[in-house]
Amino acid sequence: MIVAKTKSIEEIASSIADFEKVLIIGCGSCMTVCLSGGDKEARALARDLSNPDFYRGDPPSLRADTFQRQCERDLLKAYLRIPEGVNAILSLACGAGVQTLADVLDPVPVIPALNTTFLGALDEPGLWREKCVGCGDCLLTLTGGICPLARCAKRLLNGPCGGSSKGKCEIGEDVDCAWHLIVERLAARGRLEDYEKIYAPRDWSLEKGGGPRSIRHAPRQFPA
Amino acid sequence: MSYFKVNEHCNGCLACVQNCPANALDYLDQGGKRRLLHNMTLCARCGNCWRVCPHGAVEFQHLLHGQWDEVVTMDLVTCMVCGDPLHTVDLGKSLGEKLTREVNPLCPRHRRAQSFMVWKQLSPDKGTAGEAGL
Repeated sequence: MIVAKTKSIEEIASSIADFEKVLIIGCGSCMTVCLSGGDKEARALARDLSNPDFYRGDPPSLRADTFQRQCERDLLKAYLRIPEGVNAILSLACGAGVQTLADVLDPVPVIPALNTTFLGALDEPGLWREKCVGCGDCLLTLTGGICPLARCAKRLLNGPCGGSSKGKCEIGEDVDCAWHLIVERLAARGRLEDYEKIYAPRDWSLEKGGGPRSIRHAPRQFPA
Repeated sequence: MSYFKVNEHCNGCLACVQNCPANALDYLDQGGKRRLLHNMTLCARCGNCWRVCPHGAVEFQHLLHGQWDEVVTMDLVTCMVCGDPLHTVDLGKSLGEKLTREVNPLCPRHRRAQSFMVWKQLSPDKGTAGEAGL
């Protein structure tokens, strides 16, 4: 899922200080599950931001609501209701949700309250780790289901490097060396021949080298 | 009770069933009737059913703002002084098995107060249980 973390309360407060009436909108999908921007976080943020110490003048009037998925334009247009007089939105969606909301509600400014951080998975309660960079050319078949692009600090395709020690990466003792994990898993599966392959430089146009990416799926069927 | 609701424009064309990416919609043709079925545990609430319905029949707002379902009903233990709810009877039993002595059911406010004052308030010669005013 998409994982994000909340910006500092001071940064958020300064970004809404010039508005009188702000609607805080949580997002009911990834941001709820990663405990960063769901309904609970939206209401807690409204309470925190109502502290007048953050503002030179009067604090904005704050209301909190949650929408199931802020990244779906047509659902937002049909079902999102903005209370009268709201002159700014503080969104707890990922960057995709913030941008979609900004398009739908233009010219009302939509301000992000989160820093969208990575595509990750829940490794243990409360701990999400990055697992995928969305490279557009998945190689997990060959690496035992462990992505070196997302989980190796150097994004090495042919690792490990000399910074791998006792299974850990040189950047931190709590960071596993992805290539150590890959070698261990391939060995356990009797697939070390996959490790012996030399990976050629990748086609980075499938990642961001080709500009913003899009995918179109045709509806399966439209009955008359 | 279903959160997936359709209005009177639904004609059973099955566009929603055929386009549901989560297989959360199905249908049953039986006894001369077509029944539309929805499984909330599979539903991703993606809105595709609402999006593809050629008749505008899907009332998607019910999947955005549903109602609460009652899951279970249990007996409560209340504060012996003020009557505030404390915990369920079953939770009290579970905790009681781990304690070496009996604990009186008191809310935090009345537990902080001196216990003999509470007992004084509850003692028969002082009348019935009520607000201790501590």
